[in-house]
Amino acid sequence: MASENKFQLHLPSALGVEKVAMDFAAAVAKTMNFPADRVDDLKTAVAEACINAIEHGNKMDASTKIGISLTVDEGRLQVAVHDEGGGIGQITTPNIESQIEGKTDTRGWGIFLMKSLMDEVTFESTPEGNVVKLIIHLEK
Amino acid sequence: MANDPEISTRQKGDVSVIDIKGDVTATTGQPIEDAYHSVTAAGTKKILMAFAADCYINSGGIAILIGILSASKKKGQAVRMTGLTAHFQKIFAMVGLTKYTQIHPSEDAALKDF
Repeated sequence: MASENKFQLHLPSALGVEKVAMDFAAAVAKTMNFPADRVDDLKTAVAEACINAIEHGNKMDASTKIGISLTVDEGRLQVAVHDEGGGIGQITTPNIESQIEGKTDTRGWGIFLMKSLMDEVTFESTPEGNVVKLIIHLEK
Repeated sequence: MANDPEISTRQKGDVSVIDIKGDVTATTGQPIEDAYHSVTAAGTKKILMAFAADCYINSGGIAILIGILSASKKKGQAVRMTGLTAHFQKIFAMVGLTKYTQIHPSEDAALKDF
């Protein structure tokens, strides 16, 4: 925990820990009176950001950690997911038709879901690693 | 941390029902694929995937389901889904899965749709 409106959590880079981050973000969102469907949206987006950080940022390296920082502002919640990895590669939008036809890999929906479910999503690469910021507003 | 899936299959007339409980993710998806291959090997052309209400489904799990829908399309199988929460129904529609399967509010409704 940090200042009054900022909350932080650090987790090992292991698939499955995203559930801890989901519940953490959901608990804060509920105290802000986000409706249940928006809390579900947030949980999925947080899970996908954590999975990307673990798989692509930290390359599943168990010695690394991911950080989750929640910042509460009036009517707005920001969730920043940090990893220790290098730059984010090109972000492409998956295509269901191509995947069903077997022409492309069926994975790659995480960023699509984050962007579809959140009000704002940003990606930054810093010398310390990547940061994905998910922002959700009470008034959508 | 993963909640290993509990997968089982049963027959309802000529429909093979795959019951899915637990996590549907890239790391837990194998039993679901195994169940699909099992009912396919038995010759079924109608498959109902019945999800428990508390299933956790992430993008890796969606990839598993796309793979199953891809295989079923090639084999001429019809796939229906039920048990999904409103949240996951929305996500499946966003991704486009609903172009290749129908989601029903109940098992009975899904069975009648084949």
